[in-house]
Amino acid sequence: MSIADDIKLSRRRFLQASGAAGALGIGLNKFPGFVTLTEAKAAPPPAGAGATVITKSICHQCPARCGIDVYTTDGRVHAIYGSSEHPISNGKLCPKGPLGAYILYDPDRFKGPMKRTNPKKGREEDPKFVPISWDEALDTVAGRLNNLRAKGESHRFALLFGRGWGASCAGQLGPFGELYGSPNVPIGHSSICSDGSVVAKQCLDGNASYSAYDYRNANYLLIVGAGFLEAFRPYNNNMQVWGYLRGEKVPKTKITAVDVHLNTTLAASDRALLIKPGTDGALALAIAHVILTEGLWDRAFVGDFRDGVNRFKTGQTVDPAGFDEKWVRGLIEWWNIELKNRTPKWAAEVTTLAERDIVETAREFGGTRPAIALFERGAHTHSNGIYNGMAIHTLNALVGSLFAKGGLMYQMGPPYGPMPVKADDYKDEYAKNGPWKKFPRVDLKGHEDGYLLAKNMLQEVARNHLAGKPYKLDTVMFYLTNPVFSAPNAPQWEEMLKEVFVIDTSPFPGETAWMADLVLPDHTYLERLQDAPTYPFQGFPMTQLRVPAVKPLYDTKYFGDTLIEIGKRMKGPMGQYYKALNNSENVVRHLAKGFEKELGDNGVNGFESWKAKGVWYKKPYHWRQIGGEFYEWDGRGYNRRMTPAEVKDKLLKTESGKFEIRSGKLEHEAAWIARMTGRDPKRLMFPQWEEPKYTGGGDLHFVTPKTAMHAEGRGANLPTAIALFQPTVGGHGAKGALAEIHPSAAKARGIRDGDRIRIKSALGGIEAYARVTELTRPDTVVLPFEYGHWAHGRWATAQARGKGGAHVDTVVVNQSDRVTGMANYYTAKVTVEKA
Amino acid sequence: MAKWGMVIDLDKCTGCQACTTACAMENNRLPGENWQDVLFYHEGKYPSAKLMWFPRPCMHCEHPSCVDVCPTRATYKTEDGLVLIDWNKCIGCKYCMIACPYGVRFYVDERPLVEPDVRGVFPGAGRGMWSPPYRAPNDREDWVHGVGIQPSGVVSKCTFCYHKISKAPKGVADLDEDIPELKEYVPACVRMCPPKARYFGDLDNPASHVNKLIADKRGVRLLDQTGNKPQVYYLSGGAGASVPGSRAAKT
Repeated sequence: MSIADDIKLSRRRFLQASGAAGALGIGLNKFPGFVTLTEAKAAPPPAGAGATVITKSICHQCPARCGIDVYTTDGRVHAIYGSSEHPISNGKLCPKGPLGAYILYDPDRFKGPMKRTNPKKGREEDPKFVPISWDEALDTVAGRLNNLRAKGESHRFALLFGRGWGASCAGQLGPFGELYGSPNVPIGHSSICSDGSVVAKQCLDGNASYSAYDYRNANYLLIVGAGFLEAFRPYNNNMQVWGYLRGEKVPKTKITAVDVHLNTTLAASDRALLIKPGTDGALALAIAHVILTEGLWDRAFVGDFRDGVNRFKTGQTVDPAGFDEKWVRGLIEWWNIELKNRTPKWAAEVTTLAERDIVETAREFGGTRPAIALFERGAHTHSNGIYNGMAIHTLNALVGSLFAKGGLMYQMGPPYGPMPVKADDYKDEYAKNGPWKKFPRVDLKGHEDGYLLAKNMLQEVARNHLAGKPYKLDTVMFYLTNPVFSAPNAPQWEEMLKEVFVIDTSPFPGETAWMADLVLPDHTYLERLQDAPTYPFQGFPMTQLRVPAVKPLYDTKYFGDTLIEIGKRMKGPMGQYYKALNNSENVVRHLAKGFEKELGDNGVNGFESWKAKGVWYKKPYHWRQIGGEFYEWDGRGYNRRMTPAEVKDKLLKTESGKFEIRSGKLEHEAAWIARMTGRDPKRLMFPQWEEPKYTGGGDLHFVTPKTAMHAEGRGANLPTAIALFQPTVGGHGAKGALAEIHPSAAKARGIRDGDRIRIKSALGGIEAYARVTELTRPDTVVLPFEYGHWAHGRWATAQARGKGGAHVDTVVVNQSDRVTGMANYYTAKVTVEKA
Repeated sequence: MAKWGMVIDLDKCTGCQACTTACAMENNRLPGENWQDVLFYHEGKYPSAKLMWFPRPCMHCEHPSCVDVCPTRATYKTEDGLVLIDWNKCIGCKYCMIACPYGVRFYVDERPLVEPDVRGVFPGAGRGMWSPPYRAPNDREDWVHGVGIQPSGVVSKCTFCYHKISKAPKGVADLDEDIPELKEYVPACVRMCPPKARYFGDLDNPASHVNKLIADKRGVRLLDQTGNKPQVYYLSGGAGASVPGSRAAKT
């Protein structure tokens, strides 16, 4: 369609008596009983024309924590713009940012604590919630917890959390678990988030973290499966950077992007590579092969042959004795054992990419300094994710980008003051040596029968509970996570939640709330006081404060205070600890005492100034690698040369103090890995090609990306976000999520554009509308995961369009990377047919 | 008097639609009825298919065909170059919607794009289509300039955020959101744009940044052959060789 045609179409829209989009948009509101919990029509706050107040706070619609200016007039929030003085926002926001005012006034949000009165649970069972007082709600939770502890079964209480923000919410969970006595407080969501990259980096350079990036000084970006212009955090700042790299910067930064469908990232890049799902590691290995055979590696960081003659020849082994490694370990072994035959021609067959494109990408990446290779879920949510991630991250070592200007590094933490009281001083005998100590975590994280090297295994909780291995849970509390919708094989969670006492703390009527016995609703984000240290950004320390723009509209309570109030009701010294802690504001005030000694660049020196500005930060990042040597900031410049011991302590935190291409961490557990995966214990410690184990039994890959309008789980109930949901394939105006399918795949199945289709795996089937498009690989179906809610508010359920709704995690099998623990979200294969 | 115009650098635009949502919230638009929009296109076949997008506000034409056809003179050109609608005079005949070559005028009394209809959830009073709970302060309602919540029975359009720019200090060459004392006067879409692909300034001031960008990066106007002469310019490529628009004079 040409621009002119499209304009004519939109011009003609007024002639339509009832647009097709409108007709599609009508959904069944499946749970009217749920909606009646709230007022059917929201009462707008009082009108007025008084003085406008601007509150400095932070956004909540993705992990990035952008500074926001919240405009409030006569108690009504009516605008949100990016804070000009905030290092991430710089006055800007992503498309979600301005919609925050809507989240505050969402007519479907909970108005206060409630308990379930219908003992039956299920999608079709109205919980029949009734309002209760906070005292009754908190007493109920504390009563259950005290009883479990009295029976020596405290391990059967689990607290699952997703988007933890800072010390005043997620940071409190660890001490709660230790004082109470449960290995399952907390279980984080990182294994259904992005642990694939965290653990891959840990195996190589010892840092179990996402990276911080110096994009502005990079001259080349290789972006693999990261949705840089849709979902990769910090999205807002990524786009600011993009504008600079593609506009003002001299020289212009060249960008190659890799994904399975053409999204805005690929379209805006210089080269788009549409790769077969799960084969990103093969591409990275071939790039490494070219970098070595063509002599493009960074000799100052990597090292060199003693006589300076390049002996990396395709198919030929190299004598390790002839090469002096500088900051890497195991390069020659890697070449000999894996890399020498990983040619672009080989990778072209594995990835389906053109050999020419692989070679050109490799030469550009290897020949341009500084260059960054970044990757995220597209590359690592597969059974071979650890190796895909390691292969890509090793490219950064080969071109000397680690801790370099224009390279990547790791995030420094804020200089918080100590908590008001120490949990260790309040542990009773039960906390120290109670029966709970002998129980593993229910997800078998860190256990040799489960996932020894993983950070969390939240996706295993439902399966393990249902099997009673290692045991059954009794009570489960949720904070900012909704695995009954978002975990692989999500229906299994419905079965689990029927068997346990469920406490939800979301302000919104999500699927977890629908299955809950008790709802203790949090404030929405414009009502909260909550600290939030930055996600990895540019390395320098920074921490934000979410500051309430308005008083809470309803009888809700900040989760940090809900936790403290439950704690106060616990018997013994644990209760004393929480009485001493008092409330979450007290916690935040103590954190801010750390700024008295570390004055922020913006003048923040304590609680009041932090609250006024919404952010504390102090530039610069303290370390830099320059020409193969590491230097520390001395107050004026990167002048103080670091010893190898200091580098090991602060930057390359591996056993060897080097970037371990031969991973000591994997080598240490080689026997266990070999036993669990069948991998060769002699070579499993190197980045390598391994065929992904696709799940689901179908013939088309099924990939379920996050879109720009995701809004941390709220996008599906934001009418304006719904209208803009999937624009690249015409998801404009409430068509909901569309299943992108290539014309050849569609034709072979008798599917036409707009048809309702059925997507099936071994687990079952879901329905969606087909968008037949050349933008997606012929072997892949793409369906964004935001839609298909069977709860979560009136607009969310309307978009699901009935029972066959497109809840993608109904058909994604629960398989995880045995090393990283990462759920293999994008490794499913499905069959597709006309519904 | 300024002649306000916008420059959009297509090399920097990421297609994120922050302009669209910023406008939607600032101007209390019904979901999907986007005064400011980003249109997406594609061509070619896998694996070399091409995805494109085009950010599109009202062009605030120098010779607006919408003004010519309006039977009640509800739609009009202001002294500082804006095309606005007086909702007191508009009879909702939609002639302007047919006359506009750019599809940037909106009559929204029909079926909603997103259901359930927000107008039922947040009902308005009188002719107000709805009353969003985050609506702008009441004193911003300015029907003469087509500012506020769109009433039923009229056509609406982008005002270049008239309620902001009309309060800007007189004589400024550019309204740049990076200048702290000016940011409150910058149109919402320009102020929010994360890659800073949008610029807003005085086309009559040869010293303005927008004029320099149009000159250096060979700004072009959409459907220039219509003779509407948009006051929105697009930058792309910046090569010396380019298709001359109607603004160009033969040398």
